[in-house]
Amino acid sequence: MNRLHPRIRLLWVARAVVFALVVGGVATAATLFAPVSIPSYVPVAVGGVFLVVGVAVALLRYRAWGYEVRDDSLYLQRGVLTKVNTVVPFVRVQHVDSTRGPLERLVGLASTVVYTAGSRGADVSIPGLTPEGAEDLQDRLKRLAIASEGDDAV
Amino acid sequence: MTRLSPLSVPYRAVQRSASIVFALAFFAFTGGTAFGGFLGGLGSVALVGVVVVAIAGYELAYFRRFEYELTPDTLDIRSGVFSRRNREIPYRRIQNVDISRNVAQRLVGIAAVNLETAGGGETEGSLRFVSYEEARRIQSEVARLKRGGTEGDAAEPEQELLFELTPRELAIVGALSFDLRLPGLVFVFGSTAFPIVASYVDVPVPAGSVAAAGVGVVALGLLVALVSWAAGFASAVVNYYGFRLTRVGDELQYERGLLQRYNGSIPLDKLQTLTVEDNPLKRRFGYATLLVETAGYAPSSDGSNGSGGGGRGSEAAIPLATRDRVLGLVADLEGVEEPTFEGPPTRIRRRYAVRYSLVLGAATLALYGANRFLPQEIPWFVPLALVPVAVVAGALQWQHRGYALAENHFVTRNGFWKREMRFVPYYRVQTVIERRTVFQRRWRVSTVTADTAGSISLVGGDATAVDIEVDDAAELRETLNDRLREALAARREARQQSRQAALGIRAAEPGRDPDESDSGSTPDVETDVSETPEFVEEAEPAVGGDDEDAEEVGDGDEAEADDPFIWGESVESEPGPEPESESERDDGAENDDDTESDSDDGDEDDDADETGDAEDEPEESSDERGAI
Repeated sequence: MNRLHPRIRLLWVARAVVFALVVGGVATAATLFAPVSIPSYVPVAVGGVFLVVGVAVALLRYRAWGYEVRDDSLYLQRGVLTKVNTVVPFVRVQHVDSTRGPLERLVGLASTVVYTAGSRGADVSIPGLTPEGAEDLQDRLKRLAIASEGDDAV
Repeated sequence: MTRLSPLSVPYRAVQRSASIVFALAFFAFTGGTAFGGFLGGLGSVALVGVVVVAIAGYELAYFRRFEYELTPDTLDIRSGVFSRRNREIPYRRIQNVDISRNVAQRLVGIAAVNLETAGGGETEGSLRFVSYEEARRIQSEVARLKRGGTEGDAAEPEQELLFELTPRELAIVGALSFDLRLPGLVFVFGSTAFPIVASYVDVPVPAGSVAAAGVGVVALGLLVALVSWAAGFASAVVNYYGFRLTRVGDELQYERGLLQRYNGSIPLDKLQTLTVEDNPLKRRFGYATLLVETAGYAPSSDGSNGSGGGGRGSEAAIPLATRDRVLGLVADLEGVEEPTFEGPPTRIRRRYAVRYSLVLGAATLALYGANRFLPQEIPWFVPLALVPVAVVAGALQWQHRGYALAENHFVTRNGFWKREMRFVPYYRVQTVIERRTVFQRRWRVSTVTADTAGSISLVGGDATAVDIEVDDAAELRETLNDRLREALAARREARQQSRQAALGIRAAEPGRDPDESDSGSTPDVETDVSETPEFVEEAEPAVGGDDEDAEEVGDGDEAEADDPFIWGESVESEPGPEPESESERDDGAENDDDTESDSDDGDEDDDADETGDAEDEPEESSDERGAI
């Protein structure tokens, strides 16, 4: 089972922090403009709760994430509250992307996205790879998908 | 190159101008102080006339510039007045050919043809309009050309009437249908209209008469039920009047409809899933509904396919027939019987009962809260009386859940009020998803979904085995993956053999796959193999090795199901087949970028080396299993 790159935690934690700040800001604004007087610690507490929960979830998510390139399929496990294990047979792979979002580039990471023709979970994304790792994985999945020769994908 | 029917010009012109002219006329004659006053009455008429002429001209141009052709391999459509589009649709990719005619179109003798391929949010080929005979010809020609029938003498394969809806059955379909949309409308209208009515009619509302309110609610409920039943009856009759399902060669064809007639064709090799649906009433009288799903229908194109279906994909299936007949048809089409289902563990009954009781508890709480703020006393404890019902409901839900692994199909069953039994051929499975919510983990159960490329799934859900034991789920997940591969291999082999037989090359011998792929009889396969030999080796003998893998993963899941940090621990402790590369990979992930990608490569090589020896053995076992 492969783990994601540890640096992805940075990204996820940062995201949680930003979200908590936004929530805290909104709560502060609501306090300022609310007709009734709300104690000033309330928005701080709200933001704090979001911060703690968000960071905890981000760290747990990292611990929960794992993927494996098996002989005939890609296997993923992830999820903090709801655990999700996905098997993507190579025969079913339609195409493979490797993407780098602006934030991902900032921390020097990349993701690989695998597309199938399925109706749900039609795209499966593996975040937290190094750029080379993502390209390698993309290339490898591509070749495995070709080798497994899905004649009738639909 | 063929043109559309000339009649389509006036029809389209009238259809298009009707709405525009109406809007314009409305605008010019009624509101027209700024506009109509400026132009005057005569000017408005002139404007409308100009618009009509412009529309007619556009439609004429559309007709003149729309051409289609049935070439040997593709259906070509060239269209567009201002921006031109040439589209070629390979016959093999066409999922459905649908013909629809509404009343006006039937009077004029024209029909709309829709050609659906998989993917995309819209209908890929649409002919508006051709004569009905031409539409039927296109339908049968597409089917013939798809079979590769170039010689044309194979025309008219035998037709077999599979099912015809008798008037009596139509009446039952209607009687068992409820359409909740109309009452919804009535409700919205009524709720806005009521205060107005009430202001005119000064109804003396007796204070504190809870009973009267209760009677009112019950009466309203009955009314809603009656209206929805009547609406359901009407829409069922309109939709399914004269329903016929025929099998023409390797296609299913259906026709239905009272006012608007639909003809559709469904190639059997494009079937994704079959769904047998019933409800308590239908079960009581031994009836069921069959739904057939292909990947063709755009999710939102309910207007042209199944009116009332709300994007349910094809309603080409059987609206209602005796259960035996439906299951017989399923057996005919897919060769699968109704299996004996394996249900969720018995403790899950309690889970459902608890779940429903919690809902009741919440309702009670809400009522209690309302009671404290309302001037009058309301019976807030009433929901508690329903707890026994919750227990029964939980048991019923549990009873109707289940899954089965049939010979070639994954079968699931869910639901009490609307019970759906889904048959998914293994070779149609796209991905397998296993998920456990927090609550499911408490009960040590898990849900496995076999995702297909269908379209009903978008709203109705895929074939899902809900709340099965965690280790069963892990096993099921891997089994589905294995069977998918085996089924595909078997199909591939069968196809290869038939292709070789057709080409007159030496008969294929089972178990000699590697040699054959060198023989050059199947160019497309061969090129792939020669380019990436190591991956073929890697992919093929997966049967043996993979099973072991799967069980280990499954065991790990089960043993530490409660531990949220399972993956961190199990990485080290897992006795994988390649311990070295395992640890190597792990290190790579922990430390830094370069080693990670390196270790990936190393892992790849290891796989190829190791599996190279064991190649022959699992290969054969896979053949055997695939052939079953």
